[in-house]
Amino acid sequence: MLNQITDYINSKVPSANAVATTPEKGDGFVTVKAESILEVANALKNSSEFEMNVLQVITGTDYPAASEIELTYVLASFTKNLELLLKVRLPRGDKNNLPKINSVVSVWRAANYQEREAFDMIGVTFVGHPDHRRILTPDDWDGHPLRKDYVVQEVYRGMVVNPAHKVNTEDHFFGKKLKETMDPKKVVNSWKSDDDASVEA
Amino acid sequence: MANQHDNHETNEDVIILGDQEVLKSDLLTLNMGPQHPATHGVLRVEIKTDSEIVAEAIPHLGYLHRCMEKHCEHLDYRGVIPFVDRMDYLASMSMEWGYALTIEKMLGTEVPRRAQYIRTMIAELQRIASHLMFYGTYAIDLGAFSPFLYAFQDREEILRLFEELSGARLLYNYVWIGGVWNDISDEQLKRVENFCYKMEENMKKYDDLVGQNHIFVGRTANVGVISKDLAYDFGLTGPVLRGSGIKWDLRKDRPYGIYNEFDFDVPVGQGLKGQLGDCWDRYYVRVQEIFESIKIIRQCLDGIEAGPVMGKVSKIIKVPAGEIYMRTECPRGELGYHLISDGGKTPYRLKVKSPCFTNVSILPELAPGQMVADLVATIGSIDIVLGEVDR
Repeated sequence: MLNQITDYINSKVPSANAVATTPEKGDGFVTVKAESILEVANALKNSSEFEMNVLQVITGTDYPAASEIELTYVLASFTKNLELLLKVRLPRGDKNNLPKINSVVSVWRAANYQEREAFDMIGVTFVGHPDHRRILTPDDWDGHPLRKDYVVQEVYRGMVVNPAHKVNTEDHFFGKKLKETMDPKKVVNSWKSDDDASVEA
Repeated sequence: MANQHDNHETNEDVIILGDQEVLKSDLLTLNMGPQHPATHGVLRVEIKTDSEIVAEAIPHLGYLHRCMEKHCEHLDYRGVIPFVDRMDYLASMSMEWGYALTIEKMLGTEVPRRAQYIRTMIAELQRIASHLMFYGTYAIDLGAFSPFLYAFQDREEILRLFEELSGARLLYNYVWIGGVWNDISDEQLKRVENFCYKMEENMKKYDDLVGQNHIFVGRTANVGVISKDLAYDFGLTGPVLRGSGIKWDLRKDRPYGIYNEFDFDVPVGQGLKGQLGDCWDRYYVRVQEIFESIKIIRQCLDGIEAGPVMGKVSKIIKVPAGEIYMRTECPRGELGYHLISDGGKTPYRLKVKSPCFTNVSILPELAPGQMVADLVATIGSIDIVLGEVDR
């Protein structure tokens, strides 16, 4: 199925350079070039064979080691009962220079909120989005929380974020303390897996 | 001020409401929420109204945002379960099941038959509880208080059972990776059987009380109509999608768990009281789903077999590197977990596709031209839970 979709994308949008990946475990996906996402989205939605009429979600994942951000468009067809993970890779950029990609709101209007969330959480600018604002955090929030190097700001509008007297640091070390003071294996009613059989015996 | 007035002159001068043209006057900005009973949580809808007619509605989300997805990156795979509970707190069991399925599919864990039956049964009970909650609060939205009390009487029985099973009333942590935490006793199964019988009788009465009531029909029929194309375009799922007459249910079309063994129907909206896809259709789809859930629970009770309730899972879970997207049918729509693993003890990235987040995005499209009271009816019929919208 993935190979058929890849061939279809390549025949319709030759510049997309679609590559299918089928790993041993889990779901396979198709990677396309970021510049051609809008054409690919249009082609997939209007194809009579696949008819990807629903955009389920847009996920962003941060890979600091490769200095890349990966966007996954999860598409589905409710008429043909298909599902597709479509991926693009973008350079990571920095705070003042966020990566850019074309918006697909003109193809599926569901993309409106999804792209706003992706912008808010992972920091990708969607060119041509009709209402490009943050959605879950306040408009003047600093940073993009789901980036791996995100550090929460210390003061927001004169309010201290995570004030020390409200953070219960004792609980952070609860597990450690438990190990020091008692044997966790002896806790009654704790969950047992079959692997424990040898320990018990 | 003068500037605003000039702008107004250049805009369209009339609003079309049904088949009437109404003169547009200065717009009044009104905040509905975040503490408003009709928004079902902390949703703020900024509405611009022309007397009683809504010209624009902008939902402002994020009042309950806890960045669950970031938390999950620092937790081991078992530790995530209590967190997914807190997304849709009215359907925690379904949330947990979806997550457990995601991990099990990656690990290749085999879940014992008894656990499969228990999971299906509690998920359907949860669906009934969630739809009862909808039934009660929707009636309150439209000005009837007593249905709420009836609905909660029956919901209470489900919650009591869940409390006995898991120790908690709302946030269960009951469905674990590989099975369920605790076994269900014969006495409890008997109670479920009695409950099914009672619920079936009661629900018929409740539907007569509310669904066939002239005032209720007047308030909901032909209000907030979602056409098929619009539903696809906005990616709607669940009862909202089925209310528009689209027969799509993951339990039937892409079965997970042991749903392929059960015999049940997928109710869809038929436009019985007005146009296809109106608020009444969405209400009625949920009522019919309760009866279908009862059907499934009865088949579970017949088929349930003795055996263990926990499969073989290693003590420290390490999911092999790769990714997976798993969809399940929750009471409010399709819940998807997109897990990216790098082979470690914690998820590299866990994205939750929340049905309510997608469903609420259609609000700005439906609102223009509606009365304010109809907007309340529309929000209620979409049935959102803010814990899940904001995550």
